[in-house]
Parts: sequence; structure tokens; C-alpha cells
Amino acid sequence: MTSSVQNESNDNWLKQGYNHFIDIANKITLAIEDGINIAVTSKYNPLYYHGALPQFYLWVLFLSGLLLFAYYVPTIDNAYLSNRLINAWTSVQYITNSIPFGGVIRGIHRYAGDAMVLFIFLHAIRVWFTDRYRQYRWIQWVSGVVLLLMVLFIGQTGYYLVWDERSLLLTRMTVSALEALPIIGAPLKAWFLNGDTITNLTLSNFLFIHIGLSFALLFVLWLHYVRMTRPVITPPPAVNFVLVGILLLAVFLVPITSGKMADLNSQPNTYEVDWFFLFNYWLMSHMSLAVFWVSMTAAAVIATILPWLVKNVSPPVIPAEVVISKCTGCSLCYRDCPYQAIEMVPAPAGSRFKLLATVNIPRCSSCGICVGACAFDAIDLPQLPDANVLSEIKTFAEAK
Amino acid sequence: MAQSKPVITLVCERAADLNSLLDSKGNLAEMPDVHVVKFPCSGMIQPLMIEAALKAGAGGVIVCGCQIGDCYYREGNKMIRDRLLGERPPGLKKATDRRRIMALWLSRMQKQRFIAESKEFIYRVQALDIQEGISAGNKASANPAPTVAAKPAVTAPTAAPVVDSSSTSTPTAATTSAPAAAKPTIRPPTTATTPATEKSSSTPEAESDKTSST
Ligand code: HEM
Ligand code: SF4
Ligand code: SF4
Repeated sequence: MTSSVQNESNDNWLKQGYNHFIDIANKITLAIEDGINIAVTSKYNPLYYHGALPQFYLWVLFLSGLLLFAYYVPTIDNAYLSNRLINAWTSVQYITNSIPFGGVIRGIHRYAGDAMVLFIFLHAIRVWFTDRYRQYRWIQWVSGVVLLLMVLFIGQTGYYLVWDERSLLLTRMTVSALEALPIIGAPLKAWFLNGDTITNLTLSNFLFIHIGLSFALLFVLWLHYVRMTRPVITPPPAVNFVLVGILLLAVFLVPITSGKMADLNSQPNTYEVDWFFLFNYWLMSHMSLAVFWVSMTAAAVIATILPWLVKNVSPPVIPAEVVISKCTGCSLCYRDCPYQAIEMVPAPAGSRFKLLATVNIPRCSSCGICVGACAFDAIDLPQLPDANVLSEIKTFAEAK
Repeated sequence: MAQSKPVITLVCERAADLNSLLDSKGNLAEMPDVHVVKFPCSGMIQPLMIEAALKAGAGGVIVCGCQIGDCYYREGNKMIRDRLLGERPPGLKKATDRRRIMALWLSRMQKQRFIAESKEFIYRVQALDIQEGISAGNKASANPAPTVAAKPAVTAPTAAPVVDSSSTSTPTAATTSAPAAAKPTIRPPTTATTPATEKSSSTPEAESDKTSST
């Protein structure tokens, strides 16, 4: 990041404080990355695959989730159907204890979820600290915030699905939190429980939310990637092996167990907090619901609009310009632009060429990669024309 | 290094932070023969600029971008790396003397590394100059080359453009296997100013079908 200390004197303390904070955060990030580079070379530096890591775990989750889905029964009880109790909790027990490697698959699904959240935070913090989240990148940032909220909610519904005492408690806490909301509270509660009370339909709704939102993630991910050319979504195989290795280590060292089966007539009141997914329940039980909702909403809103709250940290983006008379329509700039900012359009009538490059201004990052791609001197950054660079080079080289 | 030729450094302003090393003219204070041109991203560097520098009499060109994997604009350093290696159009002309080009991928904090690598590079380039001076100028002289040969030995391994080095000194796989580098670089030292294939002035080897309508 270029030095962000170019503030005008009328800057307020908040802005200066923020810039100072980001400056330090950026230096620390760089120092950590340098350290990792020394240890494993830049090719295998996981921080250079910060976006690919959550994506990798997402595939792991889809796969392991599919296997769990094959045996999962989304009901509270089937008392009307048979004498043997088959419900969500017993089906999870069956998966864990009776199906070969069922417990391993369940462990993988749980810990991959935790890892995904961990790496999403790492990813978000890195793009934030290295100033890669504003201006032409706002779609990535905003869709990222949505992705994070979705992933957290999907994870929570995963915890309801097990239907042990913790699931029951979390469901009840959610219901009372929803009830505390004015106007939208009641319909949200009815949607959440799929009725007025906890029934078999509630669990099928949880399963639907869990899986449906997971697939909806793919759509939001498309939004996340749509402005990036060749998004890096797969870490190198060596990194993948390490990631899976760590996952399996956790699975075998700390096997997953369920709590006691949920009993609608009981009042469980303590539970183990999974800090990756359940921290908001912890918050909920440590403050009034009004404070909880206000602070949660404020946090989400601030996170979403952060790219517009922070201004003037670096110079404004001056988009690239195509020299129409020189462009041959070769499309090299179009291929190399990292933010999909170049569109090839039909060349104007009378041109010798078929296509013409045009810059989609709001997408342009002013990086100049298109200048490097163009062999015809047909695209330029107005603030640094390549003709100037060439003459600077020649002047120096010839003067000696 | 009094008689040394000028060296041009084309550097991304987010890579190794050279600001504190520059004099008022944009040259390295420590090595005034090295002129530094800053870019918003190393991906903006055109192979054409490198060729122009060598043609105008520069002894060598240093390209410096961020660590591969950490381009602020996502892909810029990979782009210029691939262009130098001939894996992505537009590339360098065949006649370009690759031994006079060095690419470094250094993070913001690695300016000491930059200085160290540059010194070594300049030394190599000077050795090349001496070598070429002798092979070009001493036909008549009875002196064989051995006295000088002791030093230039350094140049031998660097036939390919040195597009290596992350912060560890091991060249990355991409470097050593540089396929395109193989053909032009092994040739005997041609001077950078060889007229060579000037007419076709760097038409990218990409699909030129679009221009065929003429
Ligand atoms: C499911 C979770 C997520 C996945 C799988 C994901 C994945 C990715 C990937 C693969 C990239 C491309 C990196 C590159 O090729 O340069 C990316 C970029 C980005 N992500 Fe995410 N991301 C996720 C969540 C988030 C979150 C929570 C945020 C922030 C709130 C975020 C903000 C960004 C930004 C700003 C970029 C653009 C970076 C750049 O242009 O250099 N992402 N993401
Ligand atoms: S690379 Fe240059 S000539 Fe080719 S389409 Fe882009 S601007 Fe036109
Ligand atoms: S400067 Fe060129 S390559 Fe960079 S984002 Fe703008 S149009 Fe794309």
C-alpha cells in the first residue's frame, strides 16, 4: 500500500486514527507474509490463496454433507409410525457409530465448517488490511459480507440439525430473539419454526435452510467472482494435502459427539459454544436482546458500507483510455485485464479492424496491466502515458 | 564501476520500497548508474520498454514486482513474468539479449534484497560488456582472452532471463524450465543494439486473424 499519510490538515482524528491503524495492520500483514515466504516459498504461502482456502473447504463441505444427507432423517420423532424411535438425533447417532467411517465424515463436515469460517475471516481481514476492498472492488466486498453472514447462519442451522439438547436450546434462543423483533418478529418466527411450535416440520425446515442456503452460496459466489478474471479458487495440491491433513488430525484427535437427545419437555440451559459459529448465541446470553439486535445490525451495516466510509486513503482511480485510431482489436488487453474492465465492441464503421477495446470505467482499477498487454501502444493510463516512460528510459540510457 | 553502462530499473511502486534509496533524479543514491522508473503495477511494464532501454544503450534492465501471489492488482506480476518467459504475448523479440534482463519479485520490505541482487546483476552485466568488447575488438591483438575469462564465468548460468527468486534464493520451477528462454538465449552474445527483426515490430504471436481483413 502506498503510504496513507498524505492526509490534508483538515482530517479529523477518527480518519487519522483509522489510517494509522491500517498502516500498522498492513505492515504486520506484510511481515507475516514475508516470514511465511521464507519458510515455504511464495508458491505455497497459504496467505496468497486466501480466497481459495474457504472455497476449498466449501467443496469438502458439499461432499461430506452429501454423504451425511444420505442417512439423515429430519424429524423429531416418528412415534406414530413405529415403535423404534427414528429421528434426527438417532439418525446422527447411526451415522456416527454404525456406518463405516460415518463418524469420520461427520467430523470432516463439522471441522471443515469451522475451518471455512476461520479462513473466511482471514481472507476478509487480509483484503481489508491490504486495502483491497474499495472502489472497483466493492462488489467483491459487499458480496463477501453477504457470504459471511450466510455461512454463519448455515453453520448454525447445522447445529440445530443434530437435535441434541444444545440444538433445542439454540432453537429456543433463536425463537425468543426473533420474538423480540418488532413487526417482522412474528412472521420470522413462524418461518423459522415452520409453524407455531417445534414440530417435525421444524426440522425439515432447518434441513431445507441448511442445504438450500448452501446452494445459494454458489450464486453469491458467482457475484463475488464475476468481476475478477481468473479468480484463484484452487490452492496448489500440496497446500490442499496439508489442509486435509490438518482436518483429519482434528477429526481423529477430537472426535465429534452429540449431546443428549433433545427432549421438548426439558429445559437445557448450558451448552458448549463453538466459537466459529455460535459466538452470537454467547453474545445473546450476555446482553439484552435489544442491545444484541442493535449491535448485530450495526456491525453488519458498517461492514457492508466500509468501502464507502473510508475515503481518500489512496489517490482516486483514473481509468485507462483506449486510443481508438491505434487499437487493432487484438483482445490482448481484454484477456489480461484482472477486473474484467475491458469490453471488446464492434469497431466503428470504416475501421480496418473488426473489434475495438473499450474501458468500462467503474470497473477499472488503473493498474495499467492492459498497457503492458498492448503491443500497439493503443491503451494508456492518462497519469502515466507509456510514451513518457519510454522517453524517460531513453533519455537516461542515452545520456550515459 | 566508473565506466559502467546505465541500468534501468522498472519497478512496481508497491513492491520493494525504493523511495528512501533514490536521489532527486530518480537514480539509486548508492549506484547513480541505476535509474528507477516506478509503475502502479509491474504488469504495466511492456517488453517494448525493456527492448527500448537496451537499444538506447542501457547495459541491463531490472524488472521488479511484488512476490508472485501477492499482486495488488491480482495478476500483474504473473503477467510480466510470463511475458518475459515468452509464455504470454506480447513477448520480447528473439534478438533481445536475455542475459541483460533480471526480474525480481520482492515484497515492500525487501529493499536490501533488491540492492544485493542489483549489485550482483550489474557485476554480471559489466562482465558481459567486457566479454563482448573483447570478442568484438581484439581480432588483431595476440592476446587471447584468458585474463578476462576468469571473471565472466559468472555469466554462464544466467543465460535465461533471471526471472527467479522469491524471497528464498531457490529459483521457482517456472524459472528454470523457462521453455521460450531456451532458444534465443544460448546464442553467442549479440549486442543489444543488433538491428535484428525490426520490421515486424513486435506483432504479438497471438491470433492475428482479426487484422487480416486488410
Ligand atoms: C465463502 C466465502 C468466500 C470465498 C469462498 C471467497 C473467495 C474469494 C476468492 C477466490 C477471491 C479471488 C482472489 C483472487 O483471485 O485474487 C476473492 C476475492 C475477494 N474477496 Fe472473497 N471469498 C469469501 C468471502 C469473502 C468475505 C467475507 C469478504 C469480505 C467481507 C471477501 C472479500 C473479498 C474481496 C474484497 C476480494 C477482492 C480481492 C482483490 O480484488 O484482490 N470475501 N474471494
Ligand atoms: S491490446 Fe491494444 S490493440 Fe489490442 S485490443 Fe487492446 S487496446 Fe486494442
Ligand atoms: S488499467 Fe487496464 S487492465 Fe487495469 S483494470 Fe483498468 S482496463 Fe483493466
